[in-house]
Amino acid sequence: MIELEDIEKMYQVGGVALPVLKGISFRVESGEYLAIMGASGTGKSTLMNILGCLDKPTGGHYRLEGTDVVNLDDDALSHLRNHRIGFVFQMFHLLERATALRNVMLPLIYCEHYPEDAHKRAEKALAAVGLADRMLYKPSQLSGGQQQRVAIARALITDPAIILADEPTGNLDSRSGAEVMAIFERLHRDGRTIILVTHDRAVAEHANRIIILKDGQIAEDRPVPNPRDAEAELRVLAEKEGQP
Amino acid sequence: MNTFRIAQEGVRALSANKLRTFFMMAGTIVGIAALTVIMAVGEGTEKKVMKRITSFGTHAIVITAGGGKGFSPPQAGITTLRLEDAEAIRSQIQGIAVVAPFAVKRGLPIKAGSAQIQTMVMAVGAEWHEASDWYPQQGDPITAEDNATMSRVCVLGATTAKDLFGDEDPIGQYIQIGDVRFNVKGVLQSRGVSPMGDDFDSRIIIPLTTGLRRLYNQDYITNIRVKVQDTRQLVLISEEIRRLLHERHHITPPEEDDFAIFSAAEVAKTARGISGTLTILLSALAGLSLVVGGIVLMNILLISVGERTKEIGLRRAVGARRRDIFMQFLMESLAVTLIGMVLGSALGWAASVILARVTQFPVVISLEPFALALAFALVVGVFFGVQPARRAARLHPVEALK
Repeated sequence: MIELEDIEKMYQVGGVALPVLKGISFRVESGEYLAIMGASGTGKSTLMNILGCLDKPTGGHYRLEGTDVVNLDDDALSHLRNHRIGFVFQMFHLLERATALRNVMLPLIYCEHYPEDAHKRAEKALAAVGLADRMLYKPSQLSGGQQQRVAIARALITDPAIILADEPTGNLDSRSGAEVMAIFERLHRDGRTIILVTHDRAVAEHANRIIILKDGQIAEDRPVPNPRDAEAELRVLAEKEGQP
Repeated sequence: MNTFRIAQEGVRALSANKLRTFFMMAGTIVGIAALTVIMAVGEGTEKKVMKRITSFGTHAIVITAGGGKGFSPPQAGITTLRLEDAEAIRSQIQGIAVVAPFAVKRGLPIKAGSAQIQTMVMAVGAEWHEASDWYPQQGDPITAEDNATMSRVCVLGATTAKDLFGDEDPIGQYIQIGDVRFNVKGVLQSRGVSPMGDDFDSRIIIPLTTGLRRLYNQDYITNIRVKVQDTRQLVLISEEIRRLLHERHHITPPEEDDFAIFSAAEVAKTARGISGTLTILLSALAGLSLVVGGIVLMNILLISVGERTKEIGLRRAVGARRRDIFMQFLMESLAVTLIGMVLGSALGWAASVILARVTQFPVVISLEPFALALAFALVVGVFFGVQPARRAARLHPVEALK
């Protein structure tokens, strides 16, 4: 479903060409749960931007469900992002003045046909992340974990092929982080393709496969034999809180 | 496609920060308000001018004894305007239909039975009726024979008739002007109140000869009313009359005239008065407010694009195209100027109504200023909204999300 072939990305910094990605190739099958790891400066964010069709590589091929993304224009990329990709960011990126419901509906505004049942779909998506009773709250009235769950509902609203999550637990306490990871786990069980970008090994090990970047290249690409179980971690955390 | 929903996104940003929105709107409000007042005053003035010209007479030239700039009552003690002047105009100038010399006197005591009033007395020739298109509605006019026999007859204005005789029929009754008794032979058609507020119907007309010799005891007249055949010749004929009177009165400019000539052109000029100056001032204010307001609007929007970089990045990430972002900001700008237009029109309308109440400015409220305001609001909104909208649309999603 995702095919990267010799992807390169060069930045021009003060007239000097600075290679950030130096020939990255891998495939992701439908339904996979993949983590991309690496310290900062290894090209992890750049790779994530390319995977998310926010940026174009300067070399190589990127096929998303058979379409070569490299040749698409800006409008077509916007369309792809809208339909095929759901983003979850470290900073949540919610509209501060809009309710949870309106935040979740946001991507639908940019569909070519605004769905009749937009409202219903957003309510369903929010209920799926456990926020049925918080639909009309503004982000400032929600906890960090709740805000990230709104962002996940927003990512799911257009029923995308891939969920791209960039350090989704980076701004959360361990309890909220575990809750978010449990949601990803459930999405994975439902057959979604999930790509997680993180520098945190403990987070990465929830996935079934880990790719480690080093200096713009793939240093390691291995399966995770026994992925961590977020649901179980959540139970442990709950017990701890129950008996201090 | 989804333009409506994208426009909604733009408008939502406005209600979120009301103070910011107000500053963006202020220029448009003031500009449109000024525009509305200009149009209201302009239209009101034109209406007043037309009314004055119509009541003065579109074909009329009036010569008044004495100098002076305004269309004012003749100056007392000027004895240089004479019947011979009227005769000369009649015989020497082409294109004239009627020449009607007359002599006005105010302040004479008038009595009828127990009623006692004061009003204007006009001593006129038979041709006066035709020259001013004003005839009796009841009874008979002043005739040439009345003048030839210096008969003591009069025709009353409608108001005067009422003041003197109430509901009684005045025809055939007697009134006393000064020491002279007059027989009432007619009542003039009612002409109502002049644009300056004078009652046209408060007057008495008597034969010119009777007036000069029996009542006023003078040999000069106060006015000559001239009716031309063709209005296009008004200015030309006015100038010819001026030259003729200069010659006859031995006046060489720059010596001051001992008469004044009025026609529709002068009437229009005095009726317009200072509303022309007001219009120029308000136009400058409107233009300046719209331009300055537009620049303020543009700058606040530019700042807002900077502040909302992350929001723009997010919208791009979830699928907004460049043109969607462009539309959102352009619609925000347009919404500002359109709401500003509505508020400005309301303010301008209120200001016009107040202006009409507290000053003498004639004001007419019509739909045209609103159409013009709408056009201006659209132009300002688009012109000053494009630049910020373009900047927003050009942001690279990756940079914007950082």
